[in-house]
Amino acid sequence: MPANIPTTFFAWVSFLLDKYGELFLRGTGVTMLVALTGTVLGFLIGLLVAIVRTIPLPRGVWYRKLPMRIVFFLLNVYIEVFRGTPMIVQSMVIYYGAMQIGFRMPVLGAAIFIVSINTGAYMAEIIRGGIISVDVGQKEACTAIGMTHWQAMTHVILPQAVRNIMPSIGNEFVVNIKDSSVLNVISVGELFFMSKSAAGAYLRYFEVFFITACIYLILTFSVTRLLRLLEKKMDGSRNYTIYGSQSDSQSSIRVQETEEAE
Amino acid sequence: MENILEIRHLVKHFGDHEVLRDISFAVQKGEVICIIGSSGSGKSTLLRCMNFLEQPTGGEILYHGKNAETEWKRTLYHSKVGMVFQSFNLFGNKNVLENCVLGQMQVLKIERREAEARAVAYLEKVGMGAYRLARPSQLSGGQKQRVAIARALCMEPEVLLFDEPTSALDPEMVGEVLGVMQDLARGGMTMLIVTHEMSFARDVASRVLFMDGGVILEDASPSTLFSHPSQPRTQEFLRRVLARQL
Ligand SMILES: Nc1ncnc2c1ncn2[C@@H]1O[C@H](COP(=O)(O)OP(=O)(O)O)[C@@H](O)[C@H]1O
Ligand SMILES: [Mg+2]
Repeated sequence: MPANIPTTFFAWVSFLLDKYGELFLRGTGVTMLVALTGTVLGFLIGLLVAIVRTIPLPRGVWYRKLPMRIVFFLLNVYIEVFRGTPMIVQSMVIYYGAMQIGFRMPVLGAAIFIVSINTGAYMAEIIRGGIISVDVGQKEACTAIGMTHWQAMTHVILPQAVRNIMPSIGNEFVVNIKDSSVLNVISVGELFFMSKSAAGAYLRYFEVFFITACIYLILTFSVTRLLRLLEKKMDGSRNYTIYGSQSDSQSSIRVQETEEAE
Repeated sequence: MENILEIRHLVKHFGDHEVLRDISFAVQKGEVICIIGSSGSGKSTLLRCMNFLEQPTGGEILYHGKNAETEWKRTLYHSKVGMVFQSFNLFGNKNVLENCVLGQMQVLKIERREAEARAVAYLEKVGMGAYRLARPSQLSGGQKQRVAIARALCMEPEVLLFDEPTSALDPEMVGEVLGVMQDLARGGMTMLIVTHEMSFARDVASRVLFMDGGVILEDASPSTLFSHPSQPRTQEFLRRVLARQL
């Protein structure tokens, strides 16, 4: 026990911050690392799955379509399984399952793997929605000038799809910041796990988890704001220049579009 | 005259619904063919099949005497047979110039500088050169359609298919788009135009096809078709449409 035991709530908070500041910081770091890489990798998985699912079936007899149908089926199974079970259960199955077949995953690697593959299943559906949100006419216009499916996807459809789903992607990131806490079941040193150890020492659960809640809130709040800024930046300049006019071909006019009301 | 395109016994079903039944006709170099007919008669489906946006159920399409489906590379055929849509379909993530550059670079493998020069030239031609840095969302309907025409021209196609290019426009913008199309016709561009603009068809077309119920009922010069339609269905259609337009 410390020499002078804190007596009030705030004294405890300040005492715990002082004593376990580094622990909280390390936990926060791991949480952000897992959430960020998990979201980015999950996004890439989702992108790949969504693109594959948009590939048109080959024309002709049924057995030419079969390989693609099998791929589609497996992808659907992946999405259903990972969206239909809690991440905490997925963590246990994957981590201890791997251990039973003799593969001991490093916990941080396991954590990132689990969050990525879980996020990928959600992202696949989100990105599919984004692709559908882009008018099919634009895909047809690509086809009509001779672009391939892949060219149309990468140059025209996906950039707009991704822009349209930016809010949902940001939401997944925020969810991952919070939900990575379930990974404490496989002893990853993220924020929740670290808090539990800090709380255990003096049995001050309320004060410790009050601090933890504040940290989570600060993380999710700042990430949400940052993503809004990023979205604004992605929309780019709403201004453009009209070159030349009927009377003077050297003139140019700046056109400024008024900000859309939100 | 040389046949650029020849349609032979084209058939298209959507499930049990037979939308095109045995369509045959040929397109010669420099012809401007207007396709008229009431809504649902299969005009769009015909153009979409010619461009393989829809897979024909039967028949064949010959491009320079060779089967367009089996003997031509699909992307090459697409770049040679351009299409302009009723709803413009400009690429929303790209400005006017990039809309015209993309296909040239991706499909024709032209390098950027040359592609941009060509894009600017065609944008000037449709009167949209000044707007090259604008985004599609910042343009009026008539301006969008003119950009869409420039985008199609950038591929230097041999034939352009237009599916009701002015039907989505406010009345005051129809003229600017028809004007561009008229210029193209004068310049010798081969075009197939589905339209409800009867005076345009009368003045610009070299041939008019009247479609009804998935078949071409009449195929004649505009003067013949508009003043002496041979089929009662054509007479009835023209009476209805002209009464509305005049
Ligand atoms: N993708 C489709 N699936 C099913 N039916 C279609 C489809 N496209 C068109 N049709 C049907 O085909 C017929 C002809 O349509 P369309 O070619 O668009 O006519 P038009 O352009 O002359 O108005 C209509 O009855 C329409 O309902
Ligand atoms: Mg139509």
